[in-house]
Amino acid sequence: MMKFWTWVRTYGPGYVEGLEWTALVALAASAGAIVWGGALLGVRLGAGRWGARAVDAYVQLFRNTPVLVSIYLIYFGFPLVGLAWPAVVCGGFALVLQNGAYISEILRGSYQAIDRVQFDAAKSIGLSAWHTFRKVTLPQVLVYSIPALGNQVVLLLKDTSLLSAVAVTELTMQAKLLTEQTGAAYEAFIVVAVLYLTLVAASEIVFRVAERAVRWR
Amino acid sequence: MTTWSAWQNALALLAQGALVSLWLAAASIAAGTVVAVVLVAVGLSRIGLLRQAYRVYIWVVRGTPVLVQALLVFYALPALDLHAGPYIAGVIVLTMYLGVLFAEVFRGGVLAIPQTQWDSAKSLGLPPAALLRRVVAPLVGRYSLPAYINVCVMAVKASSVLSIISVWELTFAARQIIERTLAVFSVLGLAAAFYFLMCFGIDRLGRWAEGRLALRGFAGERG
Repeated sequence: MMKFWTWVRTYGPGYVEGLEWTALVALAASAGAIVWGGALLGVRLGAGRWGARAVDAYVQLFRNTPVLVSIYLIYFGFPLVGLAWPAVVCGGFALVLQNGAYISEILRGSYQAIDRVQFDAAKSIGLSAWHTFRKVTLPQVLVYSIPALGNQVVLLLKDTSLLSAVAVTELTMQAKLLTEQTGAAYEAFIVVAVLYLTLVAASEIVFRVAERAVRWR
Repeated sequence: MTTWSAWQNALALLAQGALVSLWLAAASIAAGTVVAVVLVAVGLSRIGLLRQAYRVYIWVVRGTPVLVQALLVFYALPALDLHAGPYIAGVIVLTMYLGVLFAEVFRGGVLAIPQTQWDSAKSLGLPPAALLRRVVAPLVGRYSLPAYINVCVMAVKASSVLSIISVWELTFAARQIIERTLAVFSVLGLAAAFYFLMCFGIDRLGRWAEGRLALRGFAGERG
């Protein structure tokens, strides 16, 4: 028992810092990606044929290239054009761009699942375009999307580990640092894997609760 | 990156890297498919304990980042006195990861087989081997093809992560060239283009195969 507490006191702070960064990046990037995905869908639906084509090209591009390449492109490339962002912001931005593409497709699927009759009904009771969006479209799109969004957030959460490649001190980086410092072989990666599983379980629970909460209405 | 020959060199290196990436993906897709078939057999077993074990295994592998798995295997192999090198470690990790994804795809395919197919196979008195070969395999193959292709695309993209455990492939090559030339946008842009070609190519190939298989019979309609 003593040994365990010394272990916690020695290595705990590193893991806690890693957890904080991972959780922060995952939360911020998830929120950003959902907003960006919504914006992309808005352009696809509202900006004519060329808007739709541009969004389609964007989605295809990000679907068929690895996030790691986007992360490097932003991290190494942006300083060359005068944007000296910190590594976390670069990595987070890459995650938003990539996951936004997937999320716009998720939201599109939900949007198409709404019965067209509802839009006629909204019109017939005199709802403005904004009110139709706020009261009819948005709530249903969000409710239908919850399970798929939950999946995407878990994928994003796991991809935050790639930020270690640009030296962000999130969980995976902490494990690397500890492995170098202590000369331990691989144990740190098992600890970190368990911590990732905890975060994944937490986000799964949140989305399942959200799904159930809206179902009873 | 000012001279034409420097460009040619970079392009040649990237093409070589792309070939390695494709090879890594192909090897782990092949091995992962085999692993997945075994996993599905466990996942659909009559023994409840095995099904539970399957579920836990899937959750653990799917719930941890590929990079963490890669680092774990990369550092654990030498510690266990197995000096296999990054390539083998990389293929092991990708195989493990794809095996789980393919297993879920195949499981979905098996569960999509309509009850009537099982019933008629039984009434014909098909022996288990023939049932697998004549009924289950063709149906599951067709049902799971779109999702299977999707995972194959993910395999190519996931192979980029292996650059972090010093596997020399497309992303690693790109970083190497950048360190020498500082031509970030053009080199990474080219690397992205190579990835795009591979992934898009696999996607098209999958659609073509779907079309081919669908023509020969009933596969288009599900249950």
